Amino acid sequence: MRKLFTCAALLVTFCIQGQPTFPSNGAREKDGVYTALTHATVHVNEVTSLDDATVLIYQGKIVNVGHQIQLPKGTIEVACHDKHIYPSFIDLSSSFGQPAIQVGEWSPFPHMDRDRKGAFGWNDAIHADYAASYHYQYDAQQAKSYIDAGFGAVLSHQKDGIVRGTGALIALHENENIGLLKSQTSAHYSFNKGSSQQDYPSSLMGSIALLRQTYFDAQWYQVDGHHQERNLSLESFIQLQQFPAFFETDDKWNVLRADKIGDEMNVQYIFKGSGNEYQRMDEMKNTKGSFILPLNFPGPMDLIDPLLARQVPLEEMRHWDWAPSNAAQFKSAQIPFVFTADGLEDKSQILKQLQKAAKYGLTEQDVFAAMITRPAQWIKSYDIIGSIEKGKYANLLITTAPLLDHHCQIEYNWVMGQSHEVKKETKNEWWGTYDLSWKNDAPSATEIHLTIEVTDSPKGLTAKWIQDGDTLTNDGTVKTDDARISFQLKPDLKNKKDSTAKAQQTIEAEYITLQKNNGTVDGWILVFQNQDQRNFPITGTFTWVDNSTAHPVSDEAEEWITPHTEMTYPFGAYGRTEIPKQETVWIKNATLWTNEAEGIIQGDLLIQQGKIVQVGKVSAPANAVVIDATGKHVTSGIIDEHSHIALMSVNEHTQSSSAEVEEARVIWPEDIDIYRQLAGGVTAAQLLHGSANAIGGQSALVKLRWGANADAMRIENADGFIKFALGENVKQSNAGDFNSVRFPQTRMGVEQVYYDHFHQAREYGLAWKNYNASIKSKNPLPKPRKDLEMDALLEILEKKRFITCHSYVQSEINMLMHMADSMGLSINTFTHILEGYKVADKMKAHGAAASTFSDWWAYKMEVRDAIPYNGALMHQQGLVVAFNSDDAEMARRLNQEAAKAVKYGHVSEEEAWKFVTLNPAKMLHLDQHMGSLKSGKDADVVIWSNNPLSVYAVAEKTFVDGRCYFDREEDLFLHQEQWNERKLLMDQMQQAIANGDHPQKPSGRKRRHFHCDSDGDLYQFQDVDHENHH
Amino acid sequence: METYTNSKTLTMKTIINFICIFAAAVATAQYAPAPKQSKSILILHATTHLGTGEVIENAAVGFKNGKIELVGDARTIKLSAQAYDQTIDAAGQHLYPGFIAPAIHLGLIEMEAVRATSDYMEVGEINPHIRSLIAFNTESEIIPTVRSNGILIAQPTPQGGAISGTSCVVQLDAWNWEDAAIRSEDGVHLHWPQPYHRSAGGLENNPQYADEKKSLQNFLDKAKAYASGHNETDPRLEAMIPVINGTSNLYIHANSERQIIEAVQFKKSNHIAHMHIVGGNDAAYVTQLLKDENVGVMIPRVHRLPQNAGDEIDAPFTLAQQLHAAGVLFCFQNSGDMEAMNSRNLPFLAGTAVAFGLPYEEAVKGLTLNTAKMLQIDQQYGSIEVGKSATFFLSSGDALDMRTNQLSHAFIDGREITLRNRQSDLYEKYQKKYSEK
Repeated sequence: MRKLFTCAALLVTFCIQGQPTFPSNGAREKDGVYTALTHATVHVNEVTSLDDATVLIYQGKIVNVGHQIQLPKGTIEVACHDKHIYPSFIDLSSSFGQPAIQVGEWSPFPHMDRDRKGAFGWNDAIHADYAASYHYQYDAQQAKSYIDAGFGAVLSHQKDGIVRGTGALIALHENENIGLLKSQTSAHYSFNKGSSQQDYPSSLMGSIALLRQTYFDAQWYQVDGHHQERNLSLESFIQLQQFPAFFETDDKWNVLRADKIGDEMNVQYIFKGSGNEYQRMDEMKNTKGSFILPLNFPGPMDLIDPLLARQVPLEEMRHWDWAPSNAAQFKSAQIPFVFTADGLEDKSQILKQLQKAAKYGLTEQDVFAAMITRPAQWIKSYDIIGSIEKGKYANLLITTAPLLDHHCQIEYNWVMGQSHEVKKETKNEWWGTYDLSWKNDAPSATEIHLTIEVTDSPKGLTAKWIQDGDTLTNDGTVKTDDARISFQLKPDLKNKKDSTAKAQQTIEAEYITLQKNNGTVDGWILVFQNQDQRNFPITGTFTWVDNSTAHPVSDEAEEWITPHTEMTYPFGAYGRTEIPKQETVWIKNATLWTNEAEGIIQGDLLIQQGKIVQVGKVSAPANAVVIDATGKHVTSGIIDEHSHIALMSVNEHTQSSSAEVEEARVIWPEDIDIYRQLAGGVTAAQLLHGSANAIGGQSALVKLRWGANADAMRIENADGFIKFALGENVKQSNAGDFNSVRFPQTRMGVEQVYYDHFHQAREYGLAWKNYNASIKSKNPLPKPRKDLEMDALLEILEKKRFITCHSYVQSEINMLMHMADSMGLSINTFTHILEGYKVADKMKAHGAAASTFSDWWAYKMEVRDAIPYNGALMHQQGLVVAFNSDDAEMARRLNQEAAKAVKYGHVSEEEAWKFVTLNPAKMLHLDQHMGSLKSGKDADVVIWSNNPLSVYAVAEKTFVDGRCYFDREEDLFLHQEQWNERKLLMDQMQQAIANGDHPQKPSGRKRRHFHCDSDGDLYQFQDVDHENHH
Repeated sequence: METYTNSKTLTMKTIINFICIFAAAVATAQYAPAPKQSKSILILHATTHLGTGEVIENAAVGFKNGKIELVGDARTIKLSAQAYDQTIDAAGQHLYPGFIAPAIHLGLIEMEAVRATSDYMEVGEINPHIRSLIAFNTESEIIPTVRSNGILIAQPTPQGGAISGTSCVVQLDAWNWEDAAIRSEDGVHLHWPQPYHRSAGGLENNPQYADEKKSLQNFLDKAKAYASGHNETDPRLEAMIPVINGTSNLYIHANSERQIIEAVQFKKSNHIAHMHIVGGNDAAYVTQLLKDENVGVMIPRVHRLPQNAGDEIDAPFTLAQQLHAAGVLFCFQNSGDMEAMNSRNLPFLAGTAVAFGLPYEEAVKGLTLNTAKMLQIDQQYGSIEVGKSATFFLSSGDALDMRTNQLSHAFIDGREITLRNRQSDLYEKYQKKYSEK
């Protein structure tokens, strides 16, 4: 028999007395009563628990805890035998009681200015002055969901914008004046611009730049800027710096992106994770940050349709397998973490989710720390909440069992001394036998006995009616509400052996309603009598019977479990369990395309420690891996001068200059296109900003180190580059009729953008120069404002950063060279440069290189005169010429594109090959290390099945830094592995569904393939494979 | 009898000479369509890829009045010296049937970003009655650039909606669309609905799928009834009659396994005589069905990315070989991004398929006879066989490899067409500029 816990239900609960400043209508309420929770197991903190202990509460606070506590007179005692008392949970990622976020109306026109008026900053995504406490209003519905889940206090902030202002510590008390524990507790940030309708930032890299600039602006404002302007946003931002800083992320990589800003600004963020951090634990550890981890583990996907299953990425399936282990991975990496209910659709699932997470290696102590202790400590509030100690708020959970016990139910949640009943009668509370009797009011009436058995069935509860040993019905209808159970019973008379009138009388009874009272029941029975209907009282007993068979619950301690699948880098298809090793490799008997004076020769190649050590006649060391390349061709790796793979965003298109944004900060190292391009012999690429504005963002130069993180993909000590763009994309010719507002709209305007910005940059540089010179003088000049955009432009003027300019028609190419000449600059590379052949002589004189398409044309007006002979003509004029891709597909067969220089214009094969190797290396200033087979250069080497310019050539092995990142044989293995794993996961998910887990749909998220003019985010929900125009 | 000798080795110099001689004339003539061939011509010693899967290493191919009348081995064939007015010594060169670019909007668009030049997509869901032929622009500047890589025949194809319209088959050297037409209305293009649906709510079955299929079926039912007799004219239904009667094709654009299966079932249950799949990403999974139902596949652009991250990285490259190995009729096509201008790369799609296992002559077939069969023009075109049209070209090297694709002569119905184009003219113009410096 199941014990009923009733003691606390009898309680009259008192809240802390009303606030003194408010007038009282009637006698002032007082709260002078002590309450003692006695005979409980009290979990004082994560390490100490007291058996049979008492917690004494007065005016919302704990006044004593321990054994043998003298209870003051008039104390209400609540006996809690067999119960556990914990401090209530604390959630650090909440927007409890914050007003709904107002999103302005979208308009197709450019929206360059802020909507918010007043003495605030320029950008509507910066809400530094937002104080959650000022906007907080108690929300009973939200509060109930938190309280029922076991929370006593939350850190509430408005989840809107990049800078979100302060958070407030709020106890879930209906009186705001009491519940608001701390009005300014924390500072909050994200990369999400939220409700702002202002165009800038339109990309992740824009968000990053905006946040960094805001930090710099605040520094400037604090020292000197406040003399120049009044800016309430910056003033608030300065105030934010005193609080613990929380950064909400939606992906593991964003944690690293945020941490980089934190390092720069001397801020250690506490990260609100997204739940996939387990995929990169080393990197998470290196942030030195603490983490708020969600518990919204994905449900199993019902992938019984194999055609649908094929469309679900492996990483999404694996995430189901791995996500619950996230916290356990943090524990073993010794990274501090707490949990949040944020993201859980049903917060009451939290215990279940905690138990699920714990199975992977968490103890009760870990969970206690993550739900209670650390959240309080992180917001510097452990003095008032977070343990059961004298003086702290009486935020207490009364549970039926220890937290990680499957039977654990939260029965009561006390918040500031106010008791909330949490336990809900669940279906199984009604299982059992009801022995009932009743008597009608006829003088001769005898007591009638009947038994109703309530059991579970697939359609819900059902009732069986037994009387005098006969089963009169097997499937009576049962309805329950919070307190009562009702039956509708249709007796089957055929089953009734005794047909006396007495029996008949009862058989007509069809409706019964009962209320349970601690083992006894009473209620009413409706009886039809002589075409009359009457209610009679009915009483009896209730015996609880556990008839659950579906999900047996085991009390035994389980072994900790691990995910079914292996961790790979990247976490998805074609990932490896570890990065390939640098080996000593002897490639013998190959046709070597050296790209050096020797030309194309027969010979061997030796790779050691990531470098080419010998080319030609080579004697191999004993330990070398030998590759017989007889009949094969070996080249240095292909370098794509113009690529947009492996990026989260390509354009920050909202302003005519976005020099401040950096592609290096938004590298996406898990892009499958990296692997696919390795299979096409590509080893390095310039990841360029798009062409949506005259001055674009800063490039990232990477090697295709598949499996590495973003920073590790970057080429060490590479020069800085920046994208410029000319022509139709810049002047928005093909961006629709609404986009006719942003300057410039003509090529005339484009020119002036450059002059204006470079003049500004020059003056900016001068201001810093003067300032630096004045520092040691008696009257130092005010420190200039650090401007990230100007920094980048100044680097160009100082020849520390180099221009790659998207360009098509000769007039604008000519213009840019004139502009550059006037600034003492040279344009490093014209990219696309489809009319380069018309001004090749001028480009030669200027010193620009040319990186073009082999044969693209006819997609817009400015490429009408594009010709496939362009490369050859420019080559003939002595320019350094490359063919680039700007396209994830073409990039994996750039060798074929190089061959088009042979076809169109008869460039020699040896020179044509340089179009995709040595020449782009030169343009990117990488030719000291890459671009040819030469002793001392990086071992970025490709083994081809055939002449690499031939359509029949297939890259068999691709090395980067001497690591074999692509091998055609291994590829088959990796592919097979992946399908085996998919099968395993599909089976596991089906099993989980059969075991009652709620299935969820695949996300439907699909990544995009970027080109020059692609705006917006990486992910979308439509099947769009092609994006036109370039 | 005169003999061309300059075609034997096509050097830079010869090109320039050629250009210098004809530059002025060409510039004014705007690459005028070639006049009717007055001579009979014999092409000797070329490695001749018949398009049938066979190759003759040292061939003799003769044609008169636009028709091939001789195909044989030059070493064994007996010829009288007077039999042909002209002989082309093509030793070292390759002779191929003119390549065919199906399912393409070549001639229906000139400049992607300029709306005024776009004529391939009509509004509306059910448009079988719109005809690509009459919009086909023989003056398109793109066409000469495509021709000069060996593509001599195309199937201008409308797009958009569920039933996009009726395509045609044209040869690529004509004064106007009437001259160009090989088949005026060769088939109706139907785009199979999407069985799955992606949204922020997740990936799931397309809730409208059944309805969309049903509306196609309803339309076909109406068309069948209409074909058996009607009082009033309905242009949409009228346009379906040739499909129902089996005189023209139904092209179903479908990519996923489920779409292909259901499209073939649609063909079967509606007794459509000639149906082919355009696309067929997943065709390799359903080869038996395709074979059993005589359904050909115009495979999606070989130079594309795999559909899903986990797919074989080479899946687009190996599809042709998989279909060939399974005995499914297939051909290459190029629809997709920058479709019209990119169609000049069609031969290289076949080349890439060869790199990934497709036998060479099968790749040639996939550009010629297989395509012709699907387009129902194989009685006249698609292979070098006696009695067929003299539509073929000579390349100094392997035409499926961009490294060696260099045309020296191309003939359409026996007429020798120019290989010049706006781009080669600009090349010449600027070569001249720099050489004069």
